[in-house]
Amino acid sequence: MTVRALLVAIVFSVIPLRLHAETLVTALSTERVSIESNFTGSGVVIFGTVERDRQTVARAEPYEIVVTLTGPLRSMVARRKERVAGIWINRASSELPRVPSFLAIATTAPMVDVAGNRVRAGQGLGFDMLPTRGLPDALPPIRTEYDAAFLRLMQKQGLFKLNEGSVEFLSSQLFRAPIELPANVPIGWYTATVYLFSGGVLLAKTTQDFSILKGGFEQTITNLAHREPALYGLATVIVACLTGWLAGVAFRKD
Amino acid sequence: MDLYLPIAEMPMNLFLLLGMGAAVGFLSGMFGVGGGFLLTPLLIFSGISPAVAVASVSSQIVANSTSGVLAYLRKKTVDLKLGLFLTLSGIIGSAIGVWVYGALRGIGQLDVVIALSYVAFLGTIGMLMVVEAVRAILAKQRGTPLPVRRPGQHSWIAGLPLRVRFHRSRLYISALPVIALGASIGFLGALLGIGGGFIMVPALIYLLKVPTTIVIGTTLLQTLGTMAFTTFMQSATNQTVDVILGLALMVGGVVGAQFGARVGQSLRGETLRLLLGLLVLSVGLRFAVDLVARPDELYSISRLGGG
Repeated sequence: MTVRALLVAIVFSVIPLRLHAETLVTALSTERVSIESNFTGSGVVIFGTVERDRQTVARAEPYEIVVTLTGPLRSMVARRKERVAGIWINRASSELPRVPSFLAIATTAPMVDVAGNRVRAGQGLGFDMLPTRGLPDALPPIRTEYDAAFLRLMQKQGLFKLNEGSVEFLSSQLFRAPIELPANVPIGWYTATVYLFSGGVLLAKTTQDFSILKGGFEQTITNLAHREPALYGLATVIVACLTGWLAGVAFRKD
Repeated sequence: MDLYLPIAEMPMNLFLLLGMGAAVGFLSGMFGVGGGFLLTPLLIFSGISPAVAVASVSSQIVANSTSGVLAYLRKKTVDLKLGLFLTLSGIIGSAIGVWVYGALRGIGQLDVVIALSYVAFLGTIGMLMVVEAVRAILAKQRGTPLPVRRPGQHSWIAGLPLRVRFHRSRLYISALPVIALGASIGFLGALLGIGGGFIMVPALIYLLKVPTTIVIGTTLLQTLGTMAFTTFMQSATNQTVDVILGLALMVGGVVGAQFGARVGQSLRGETLRLLLGLLVLSVGLRFAVDLVARPDELYSISRLGGG
């Protein structure tokens, strides 16, 4: 009896959720950004639709979309300069384990209107909620001055960017989110995450991977530099000697 | 036109790179120095990471000194034996320098060591050059010739044990100061991304009393050997040599050097040394100001383990 009651309770608790369920279908404009010798930055567009089944009731609150593009995770160190004997040198430092090397956030509305702090903290969503010391938490992360400096400097370098209102709905369900990739974009695997919110509640979330890689010639040089460093060094020295010799011959007066 | 630099992982304007190479090449042709002490800071100020800047400039110095050495070899003003001694000791110094470079980068003190070294070396050498050149100019105006070097007149440094005969320089001096000089310059070259010509030239003239005609060709030979080794070492251990960046700087540099050399020949020796001294001194001052002035941003971030 009790087991059946429990089952019934579960079924009924699930049905209302099913009625409200929206799903996200997203696609990237490109799966691979190739960096060629004339690369000065690029862009990627994330498209998506909010799929609703027939039973889905219309919501009072509009849909809000947040798109994040996260670059490869890297361990960083932040250092603080202090005056010692009249000169400014790096003294104290703090490590930030596995933080994104790139993070672009695009939204349909100001971040604070999309979702409350607690919801965003649980997802690690937004620069103020980005976990710099491990996994996302239900509480806003504690920020040291080093964490703050990291976030400030990454934004200054254009590697962290928040674009509120840049995601646009093309119809009531179809949206597009253009994201700029600056010239100094780090190389590696990226994850595009799309969050669907309504009334401050997270309804759905999708993730998609894509890569930013160097083009043929650039990649060949990089591969050579990393896989055959001695050969690469030797080749560089020979190229340098040849350039010098050629210049000497070309400009020789006698 | 922007050019993407595969190892630096950033684009840079090709004409800016060629221009910087040419400007520094012009000065180096004019003064007979490598110009690395100008080019490396210029690249760092343009946003290239110090690791890549220092390592790539060494390849540019190889190209510049190659054409220089060939020209001086034709004129037969190179002391091959002295150059070999300096190069071999320079290679040892360079190996230590590459290692220290990596270690300092790991603990986050590389920038301050580079800046302090620039202040110390550029300040001292610049000051010495300016004082010496002004004295020479004043002496010339008064008509009192400066004492000229007589053969056989050596400083106490050259009289240390382990004497070696250098025929071309007409010297019979201890090998110890030669090795010490070569090693320190190789060390500084790897650490600071400089050829070290601006230290080597006065050191050979004033400390070892090498004839002035031989000095530049021999210094260039040492620079070529040491920097070729440094380029190889930086590639093999730190993998920070950007061949595209190096090539752009080389092309600009070798062309600029030809024009610089022509201007240099038309200027008087003392004037040339005074100008070079002032240039060296001002780069040193620039670094000193940065060290002492309160920075706008107290914090800096870098990848753990360097980069």
